[in-house]
Amino acid sequence: MDMNEIKEIFFQECEEQLAELESGLLKLNDGDRDPETVNAVFRAVHSIKGGAGAFGLDDLVSFAHVFETTLDCVRSNKLEPTQDVLKVMLKSADVLADLVSASRDGGGIDESRSRALVKELEALAHGEMPSASAHEAPKPAPKAAPAPAPVAKAEPPKPTDESGFQPIPFTFDGFGDDEEPALEGSVYEITFKPRRELYSKGNEAALLLRDLSRLGDMSINCDMDALPALDKMDPEASYFGWKISLKTVKSEDDIRTVFEFAEWDCDLDVKLAEEAASDEELPMIPVPFDLGILDEPSTSEEEEKAVQSSADETVAAAVSAAETATSVAKAAGRASEKKESAAAAAAAAAQNNAAAAAAAAGQTIRVDLDRVDRLINLVGELVINQAMLSQSVVENDATGTSAVNMGLEELQQLTREIQDSVMAIRAQPVKPVFQRMSRIVREVADMVGKQIRLVTEGENTEVDKTVIDKIAEPLTHMIRNAVDHGIESPEKREAAGKDPEGTIKLSAKHRSGRILIELTDDGGGINRERVRQKAIDNDIIAADANLSDDEIDNLIFMAGFSTADKISDISGRGVGMDVVKRSIQALGGRISISSRPGLGSTFTMSLPLTLAVLDGMVVTVAGQTLVVPLTAIVETLQPEASAIHSFGASQRLISIRNSFCPLVDVGRVLNYRATQANPVEGVALLVESEGGGQRALMVDAIQGQRQVVIKSLEANYTHVPGIAAATILGDGRVALILDVDAVVAASRGQSMKPEMSLAATG
Amino acid sequence: MKKKVLTVDDSRTIRNMLLVTLNNAGFETIQAEDGVEGLEVLEGCNPDVIVTDINMPRLDGFGFIEGVRRNEKYRAVPILVLTTESDAEKKNRARQAGATGWIVKPFDPAKLIDAIERVTA
Amino acid sequence: MAAKKAAPGSVKLSAVLDLNEASVLHGKLMSIRGSDVVIDASGVERLGVQCAQVLVAGHRAWAEDKKSFLVEKASDAFQKTMQLIGIDNGNLVAKEI
Repeated sequence: MDMNEIKEIFFQECEEQLAELESGLLKLNDGDRDPETVNAVFRAVHSIKGGAGAFGLDDLVSFAHVFETTLDCVRSNKLEPTQDVLKVMLKSADVLADLVSASRDGGGIDESRSRALVKELEALAHGEMPSASAHEAPKPAPKAAPAPAPVAKAEPPKPTDESGFQPIPFTFDGFGDDEEPALEGSVYEITFKPRRELYSKGNEAALLLRDLSRLGDMSINCDMDALPALDKMDPEASYFGWKISLKTVKSEDDIRTVFEFAEWDCDLDVKLAEEAASDEELPMIPVPFDLGILDEPSTSEEEEKAVQSSADETVAAAVSAAETATSVAKAAGRASEKKESAAAAAAAAAQNNAAAAAAAAGQTIRVDLDRVDRLINLVGELVINQAMLSQSVVENDATGTSAVNMGLEELQQLTREIQDSVMAIRAQPVKPVFQRMSRIVREVADMVGKQIRLVTEGENTEVDKTVIDKIAEPLTHMIRNAVDHGIESPEKREAAGKDPEGTIKLSAKHRSGRILIELTDDGGGINRERVRQKAIDNDIIAADANLSDDEIDNLIFMAGFSTADKISDISGRGVGMDVVKRSIQALGGRISISSRPGLGSTFTMSLPLTLAVLDGMVVTVAGQTLVVPLTAIVETLQPEASAIHSFGASQRLISIRNSFCPLVDVGRVLNYRATQANPVEGVALLVESEGGGQRALMVDAIQGQRQVVIKSLEANYTHVPGIAAATILGDGRVALILDVDAVVAASRGQSMKPEMSLAATG
Repeated sequence: MKKKVLTVDDSRTIRNMLLVTLNNAGFETIQAEDGVEGLEVLEGCNPDVIVTDINMPRLDGFGFIEGVRRNEKYRAVPILVLTTESDAEKKNRARQAGATGWIVKPFDPAKLIDAIERVTA
Repeated sequence: MAAKKAAPGSVKLSAVLDLNEASVLHGKLMSIRGSDVVIDASGVERLGVQCAQVLVAGHRAWAEDKKSFLVEKASDAFQKTMQLIGIDNGNLVAKEI
């Protein structure tokens, strides 16, 4: 793994954090005051900042920092997350997302916007807590208003306590701090006496002394005076202290840095020895640093040890006697320490229980998408293989020994279960897509000066990742439409007696093996008069056409239809609802609208849960087996000769319940045959295609319905007009899956270009 | 013998950076994603030093450090906290919880290794 | 606790003499108080000050009891740390500068 890969991971993680951030902010916006929600929001920004710092993404860091500071005010209850505050935060989340994209893909962002937000964020951080500046100087009582219960659950805040612990490691004035150390080295006298906390926090005096010794020549005197007798001592207490004399070219700062982690848990005194040798010598001689000194452990102790090798035991004994006297007082102190530790243990037990409960939550692993895709492909093969096996057993063994048949049945069931389970791996909640929509609502609403709130429902509904990736675009377009055209301006709404703030509701749910996505606005609904007039103006319908309300509503899906009086930059001409409908249909989905004048409209999309398998009707056309997606088929019928009406050179219509529907000869369109088939000998599949128009597709016969595994033709062969994909049937034959829209579109010319046609082989 | 480092951080980015840095420096690295997992992993991994983040879901760094310090077997293990320069208050809370030392973000491999060397034998 | 028959007890020091080990070592020494003791420091990889405190206190206690308290086969790590923290490990007493 190199830095670039980690950077890639960072950006992936940013996406997740941004989603987390937005959903958290939206929850807060809805009045959620769970501290964990605030924490999660804070963490998301904090995490982005941390990673960005590591990669030197300064713009991202500085914005995230300001954002984080303001969020921290919310977290510590210094700032009430009102709707206005959250508005700024949501915008900031959007800018943060832009900054992430800009950092990843290059390119700039709208700097005026981010600068403005930085100001707003800072104002929020300052405005509501007068005395807390960026420095957060811990003045004894900075709380302006009596703050509500603290958010952090673990510990009550101890503001006054902490003020005494400000890290001021290097600010001891008056000890000659501004003087450069003499190059030959100065001698420092250091006294160091650890407290027991130093050890209990995992620091070790021996290591500190080790690091100290690396700074120069060190001689040390261990002060054991405080050590009590063996039976009186607390093995975990701190008794030893040291007087150290260090000759070094390093500064006092360097010496103190050694104790950086320990300084609050020890008594430390560092000063230049008065009779420092260097004072007498010429300080100006530029002797280079001898780096060797830094690395080698000091040898002075060894020499001294040789001199001092036999020590006086009686001295030691006398000392320990003296210690006994003081040990009584110390024992009392220790007893109170024990009490504290008992309380700590009880707290520990409680916390452990909580931790265990949290651990029971679902665990996840992260898997490369390629692996999942490969697995899904393999399972697809397995399904096909299983079907082939069943079929050949049936064909070769008409009687069917029950054991084999039962085994096959079990195999089939297992295969299906495996398939479902594997599909479930790639299934993901629609949440990220829904979250993206809330940003679009905010931005577009801002642009057109409307107040709109997006309510989402069922965002945990899962659907195959391939579907998720593809619904974002049509959904975005629909949302823009709803904001731009659906919801009225606040004035109009008020005039109509509605809440000036419009609501758009986006919901998802599973229904009979498909996912149903509904987009509802509480706007003015479809203006049928205008839609109708527009359709007439655009020659979409005849001026005297008799259309039901539903039919008029559905006219908006017709190509090139736009009802907005003015063309705004939000949903300009060219990308109308027809495009949306087409992309939904390309996914094997359907879309419809229902509208109530004055009350709003609801778009309903029904989509397959996966693009890997498809429910299809297997049909025969000119000896070839084709699969027609079941979702496209409205009904099937056996045409009677009397219902067929020819006109022009080769155009035919079929009359169905008093309306006429163009007949499309699939065999001709795909160039499977040179002459027209006789409709009476075949079957007509009534399909709904682009723009809602119905067509009758002529096929020779229906073989049956089945679920098929979709194989891309583009990936395995090449794109074929009129064909969406291929599949492999149980008997091993390749069957092509019809692209209904393309066939219908081509039917206007009745035939694909001959050289592009493809007959299935098998 | 390789020194063993347990890292606890919810950010995948930082986890990977820690992993690369520590492995390059010759440490054996064990990773956990939050305080709860950190305490679980701690059992049986016997680290020489622990590096932990503060802001984490489920159990934050403070809680994690307290958990380690209450653990009979591992209470003496040095714990380094990943923190930010501006966060004096958090540093102090971490110390009160029992942190041994800290590494100031943004993440810098040299600083990390230096801090680890300082608190381990 | 004082075993009268002065058979030399022996204590093998653990590899890691940290905070946790201090109590263990203390307990061990307390349990063999009164008999000569040989401390085997050959396996010590890490020595913390708190264990050193226990050893020094032990040394003093044994001296009081007029028993022998011998640290032998001190490992490099043991010797180096003792030196570093200013304890003469031959006699477990503070050195003077």
